Amino acid sequence: MKIFHRPSWSNLLLGLLIVFSILFPPFLLNSDYSYVLQLLVTVGLYMILAMGLNLVVGFLGLLDLGFMAFYAIGAYSMALLSCAGFGFWATLGLSVLLTMGFRLLLGAPVLRLRGDYLAIVTLGFGEITRIVLNNWDSLTQGPKGISLLTHPDVVPITFFGFHISNNLNFYYLTLFFVFVCATLSLRLKYSRIGRAWMAIREDEMAARLTGIQITRMKLIGFVISAGFAGIAGGIFARSQNFVTPESFTFWESVMLVAMVVIGGMGSVGGVLLGAAIVILVPEMLRSLLGSGFVSWRYFLFGLALVLIALYRPQGLWPNRRKIVELE
Amino acid sequence: MGQTLREIFKLFSRKNLDSGETVAPVILWPGPRCNPGRKSGSLPVRQAGRSNGRPGRGVGPLVLGLAGMVFLSTGFFSCKPAEKKIKIALAMPLTGDIASLGQGLKRAVTLAIEEANKNHLTPQPLELVVFDDRSDPREAVSVANRIASDRHVVAVIGHFNSGCSIPASRVYAQAGLAMLTPASSNPELTLQQLSPQWVYPKSIFRANTTDNVQGAFGADFVSSTLKLNRVAIIHDKSAYGQGVAEEFKKQFELNKGVVTAFEGLQVQDRDFRSLLTRVKATQPQALYFGGMFSEGGILVRQLRDIGFKGPFVTCEANYDPAFLKVAGEAAEGAYVTFLGSPPELLPTAQEFIVRYRERYPTDELKSYDAYGYETGNIIIDAIKTVGTDRAKIIEHLRGIKFTGVLGTTSFDEKGDTLNKAITLFQVKKGAFVHL
Amino acid sequence: MSIFNTLIEQLINGLTLGAIYALVALGYTMVYGILLMINFAHSEIFMMGAFVGCAVLTLCGALPAPLAMGLAVVGAMIVCGLAALGVEKLAYAPLRKASRLAPLISAIGVSIVLQNGFFLWRDDFLGFPNVIPERHFYFGPLHFSLIQLIILFSSLILMLGLWLFVNHTRFGQAIRACSQDREAAGLMGIPVNAMISLTFFIGASLGAAGGILYSLYYGSIKYNMGFVPGIKAFTAAVLGGIGNIPGAMVGGLILGMAESLGAAFLPQASWKDVFAFGILILVLVIRPSGLLGERTAEKV
Repeated sequence: MKIFHRPSWSNLLLGLLIVFSILFPPFLLNSDYSYVLQLLVTVGLYMILAMGLNLVVGFLGLLDLGFMAFYAIGAYSMALLSCAGFGFWATLGLSVLLTMGFRLLLGAPVLRLRGDYLAIVTLGFGEITRIVLNNWDSLTQGPKGISLLTHPDVVPITFFGFHISNNLNFYYLTLFFVFVCATLSLRLKYSRIGRAWMAIREDEMAARLTGIQITRMKLIGFVISAGFAGIAGGIFARSQNFVTPESFTFWESVMLVAMVVIGGMGSVGGVLLGAAIVILVPEMLRSLLGSGFVSWRYFLFGLALVLIALYRPQGLWPNRRKIVELE
Repeated sequence: MGQTLREIFKLFSRKNLDSGETVAPVILWPGPRCNPGRKSGSLPVRQAGRSNGRPGRGVGPLVLGLAGMVFLSTGFFSCKPAEKKIKIALAMPLTGDIASLGQGLKRAVTLAIEEANKNHLTPQPLELVVFDDRSDPREAVSVANRIASDRHVVAVIGHFNSGCSIPASRVYAQAGLAMLTPASSNPELTLQQLSPQWVYPKSIFRANTTDNVQGAFGADFVSSTLKLNRVAIIHDKSAYGQGVAEEFKKQFELNKGVVTAFEGLQVQDRDFRSLLTRVKATQPQALYFGGMFSEGGILVRQLRDIGFKGPFVTCEANYDPAFLKVAGEAAEGAYVTFLGSPPELLPTAQEFIVRYRERYPTDELKSYDAYGYETGNIIIDAIKTVGTDRAKIIEHLRGIKFTGVLGTTSFDEKGDTLNKAITLFQVKKGAFVHL
Repeated sequence: MSIFNTLIEQLINGLTLGAIYALVALGYTMVYGILLMINFAHSEIFMMGAFVGCAVLTLCGALPAPLAMGLAVVGAMIVCGLAALGVEKLAYAPLRKASRLAPLISAIGVSIVLQNGFFLWRDDFLGFPNVIPERHFYFGPLHFSLIQLIILFSSLILMLGLWLFVNHTRFGQAIRACSQDREAAGLMGIPVNAMISLTFFIGASLGAAGGILYSLYYGSIKYNMGFVPGIKAFTAAVLGGIGNIPGAMVGGLILGMAESLGAAFLPQASWKDVFAFGILILVLVIRPSGLLGERTAEKV
């Protein structure tokens, strides 16, 4: 593994960041700032989700406004299978397969839609998923949600005999999957498939003429991205120990798109940055504003979104290929 | 399909077998280097980055971003714990759909704390730290972690939605912090403490009633007082509304009544005419609604609009001025159940109403404000008696017998209030009148 | 009551709801037609229309009801149109050459700002002045309330007006030219920016009118009231074929009907949105560019 392929400032900083993210968190445990750990778990989950969405929005150039549906499917499969007594790792695998299966079922008929028609179909599917979860009481317990903590059949998560229970353990679990997904994203990006995706994004007609099988390539992107959501959903269900349809609203899907665009579509590092910003900025505003102005948080957040869009329309850390093209 | 799978497998091998070209080595970050495999790539891309002598472009935004993060993260560490203050945390939805109820609760708890500080009830002044959970379970957990890790917080009042309270309660329990909710009514919230899997201290308390009590009360009222035996039930598909409605149904059927329809509506929807037309066709004598005033007000309005004349019975979340405002004349005659002794009759409650109006002349008293004031005072009472130790406060709450605006509150082994007195109001001439 | 009567009643409910969706959908579709952008902030303009209307009606409480209503509608249309113009100039115009999703993010930001701005001002329901008297009309088996008739009638007039404007005036021609090809239109001497502004103004004022009718019908307003009808109207616009003006009208009506019939005849009424979105997906699978959308070559 050549991480420092060619030493440079950004790689050095990146290396430092990785070392820091591995070594620092244990110091947070049992301090006044232990909540940061849980926050970082959330950030990590959204990073995985945003990387998944990035495959579709960033690499393929298709707008997806219902990505949360697959997060929900991942979380609910994890919750339901865990309650049936399956172990964590097996269930995680199964949830990933299930989300991918659902995505395949959805994707196959609608992928020939173009542009914003696809966006609205994904939005529709996202809403349908949420409503079904909320209404199918016999399976999902509807709005009451599924509680894993007090369910007798749930098996604790073990990793080679080591129990994953507190926020720090979940932090490392999430961090591990962030690395896995980031690596996978980058491998995909520079692979044959990734290049085919980007060709489709730039000009579908030209891509087709060069012999790229458009629908198949789009379907691969769709299905793999759902796998990312499945992983995030699975970890989410186990770290919260409680899933309810309230967590998977349309608004969350919109925020995911915002993460991808703010970070820089198609740039894996940018998307990670975008996810961190969208989750952390409102959280930081919370402390900066104090008790008196709590209600102003989202007002200021909206303002920040507008400003970022106006001053960095290409994203905070844009995709290099995009910059080069624009020059 | 086979070909597709092969493509995917190829991702994990270093060599791209078809063309013999090398795919980029495992890259963890898109650094400022050109991709060795791009020579035969399909995109015409000009070489850039290090090759033209500049330090990589990726660095600029990265450094900028990191600097920004460091700057913003001062936000995390900026709220240094204030000296010599006892903190009580309040976690409520202060933005989002039901923010007005959260804001009302915030006002009520603030009032309780201000009064305690004015009368020097506690050795050091109390400070209320307020957190917004947006009714979002994810934010609720994040808020809960934040509250639990602040050692100066001695107790929590919150959350509002059961969906938020349940995951957050575990964080508080783990930290041995008392949580007293003024509004979450899902039985599971406190029931989970009796499960053998619950390894934490039993620190969850609830000052309001659970769904089952109120639903059953409504059902008994309809069958024995109104003497009706055909009722249609509508709920808002939320944990709260559906819970109440199910309990109503259970009890009403026990009373040999017929439930002609049991339907859910979508929160934030505004058009229930179709649903009501359908429900009306089942020929009920009365309609029961489980849900919040935001839908209840519009529901009763449209119910009268389509010409249904039977009684409308609903639960305590509709005991709110906004219900009257939204429903207008249609609210006339509606029955609303409410937990606790009627505020009009208790002297302490009278004082509360007067003081609330004095303190907040422009705001209305919201449906849960009495609960908020009560929970605030229960916590203050605990601090007054046993000091600021988290464990001692839990211990004290367990055996507390507190008389306030809702009557006398004490908790059972689950942490639910034993004050299950329910009062009934009817809307008469645009106001709630105690029956 | 027979099944037939129920059906008729549900159709009228759906028609009324659909007329409002159609009015709001026009704003989405016009902006999309000219800029290819989803104007997420349109639902907040809708909300703003309701608030302005409420303010005007409260101020003009002494005037006779039809006059006050007229003032409220016109006032809200102008104020919201101007607000949309401002938003366009500040938040969208600088992004005209950026990637297609940048304006989307900007619009989401504007939407959050507007919604929370109104939230900070009024966090709860406001009663909307009830100026329409309760009256019912019967035409054979058909039964309308006065408010339903007013909604249907005024949305019909507004849509007719829009149709005449777009198809039979020079401005309308210019707007259509811009939405076909902005660059070429510019070369022909059409002031493209002015036309974009005009589109925003018209779309927003129709949305504002929709907001007033909506709140008259339901009797109360709140800062987040735009969200649900916004999504539904956007769905309606796509259903009819986005960028296509008659399409938005047809889409709105179909969606309103689908919801209404879904709530009436599905085994559980709470599945109605599944039904509505299901119809949308089905239509798009069969006709990938919406009901009335043109089949364009696949050039994204």
